[in-house]
Amino acid sequence: MASGGVARGRLTEERKMWRKSHPHGFVAKPETLPDGSVNLMVWKCVVPGKEGTDWEGGHFPVTLHFTEDYPSNPPTCKFPRKFLHVNVYDSGDVCLSILGDAWKPSITMRQILIGIQDLLDNPNPASPAQDLAYDLFTENMPEYRKRVRQQAQRYPSLV
Amino acid sequence: MASDGHPPEPGKKEEVAATAAGPGANDLDDPQFMCCVCLDLLYKPVVISCGHMSCFWCVHKAMHIFRESKCAVCRQPYKHFPSICQLMHHLILKLEPADYKRREKEVLEEEKRIETYSPQIIEFLNSKNNVGNNGENRNEDSKTRPPQEASLNGSIVDVHSKKIKLEDVSCPLCKEMLYQPAVLNCGHVYCVSCLPCLNEEALKCHVCGSLHPGDFPNVCLDLDHFLEEYFPAEYESRGQKFQSKKGECNREGSSSGASSTKRSSRAHRVEDISNIHIGVGCDSCGAYPIRGKRYKCKDCTELIGFDLCEACYNSSSKLPGRFNQQHTPDHRMELDNSALLQRFLRFPPEEGQQELMMEEAVVVPGAMLELVFDNQGMAGNDGGPGDAAMGEAVGAPGDMLHIIIDDQEGMGDNGEEDQEA
Repeated sequence: MASGGVARGRLTEERKMWRKSHPHGFVAKPETLPDGSVNLMVWKCVVPGKEGTDWEGGHFPVTLHFTEDYPSNPPTCKFPRKFLHVNVYDSGDVCLSILGDAWKPSITMRQILIGIQDLLDNPNPASPAQDLAYDLFTENMPEYRKRVRQQAQRYPSLV
Repeated sequence: MASDGHPPEPGKKEEVAATAAGPGANDLDDPQFMCCVCLDLLYKPVVISCGHMSCFWCVHKAMHIFRESKCAVCRQPYKHFPSICQLMHHLILKLEPADYKRREKEVLEEEKRIETYSPQIIEFLNSKNNVGNNGENRNEDSKTRPPQEASLNGSIVDVHSKKIKLEDVSCPLCKEMLYQPAVLNCGHVYCVSCLPCLNEEALKCHVCGSLHPGDFPNVCLDLDHFLEEYFPAEYESRGQKFQSKKGECNREGSSSGASSTKRSSRAHRVEDISNIHIGVGCDSCGAYPIRGKRYKCKDCTELIGFDLCEACYNSSSKLPGRFNQQHTPDHRMELDNSALLQRFLRFPPEEGQQELMMEEAVVVPGAMLELVFDNQGMAGNDGGPGDAAMGEAVGAPGDMLHIIIDDQEGMGDNGEEDQEA
């Protein structure tokens, strides 16, 4: 129960741990407000596509929104609007078990981002979130893969 | 802030890693004693029956206000808020005195802010820390004089800087070094093989006499691993002894590994919750929330109050309060239904009390209710008690509570719940 509430204390520790070590290619930093202060409740992240998959080469922006209930409740994770993926709503919200029914307070930001990276090339068609990606994935896999590769090119590394 | 996302310049790796993480970041190289909720050093650790541990406040704030709570690590359900494990408290205090002092200062600031205090522990780390009294002392007036922990005193930290001795980690029953330690709800630690010897009917603590509710506790693996690393020779010989007399005091159903509890595959389980007191726990056995009759102290002035479940009230429990309350046996207790779920269901919330939005419903005693929190469409997000457990708002703003009433007389479901795929 760090000073300033559980959520902020936990996020401060997550930030320390991330800066100490984080998986290669990933980016996670709290939002910087116009006045230069840091908002720990919103994190701007980048998830790289896995090598050897159609997502390779893409560095996909993800925004994590935390509430004061964190880590009792999971953050909401958003890709850009109209992001092509079976388990991403048109709004960009990610449909992932560890962010819903399977959430545990012990799950860290690192695990969330790795889980999202894994979800990219391993979608769950049993829980579709958008029609376009689902229809392509189930009925026209070559076209789905082509569009995924095009999408990866639209999100090159900013480094 | 390059270290947030991008690798530092060549040759500066070590420097950046050391400075970016902040002071004290390298102190926690051993993740055994890191709380999985706050990701900081465990402070006043409590061990849940599944064997996983977190800080006192981390567990309390994560507990559900009217459903059974789930472990932050394995999601195993539990219904009792355990007492602080003093043995673990003293071990960590001795191993990480500076960090523990820092944590203590932070927590005390927050406790002052909310005017609710965790139990004060003043025992030294010695052979009595797992076999002495409960060690949770109360101050004369917790409002004006918040608890001052032992570690804040410099001389005591010096005492703790000595090596941990075998008697510090001994089992109260077999008097030998703990082997596969399991922690009871009262916070006392036993070898898991010694537990069946406590009592045939219910687990009664040999140290404090309190009954352990529910199933056998699992082995606390973090403590077990620590003992194995810290006392390798002794641990090995204890292991050999354990193997040789394995069947001696065995009891069917005792678990020494992962939990055998089957989890319901149903998204929403039906249980009788009409007699639940929302966000109110028993200050003796730790039942949270209280089910059935709730007795509240009329004389305790603390913000969090002092409450007992019916069983503890009838047993004239003498255990100290869970939050350093100044409760004494001569205080007057009265039946209290102010937080009873039935009241919330029977009467619509008063004006301005928008935290819990419900349709007016009359619940027959014994009716089966199915409640589903809907966090603005995000199914499966269990709302922890947060500050509601501190006696503040019930439920999170915007939470919609769907109620299905089944009085077992053909009333049927009022509607189908959409279940997330």
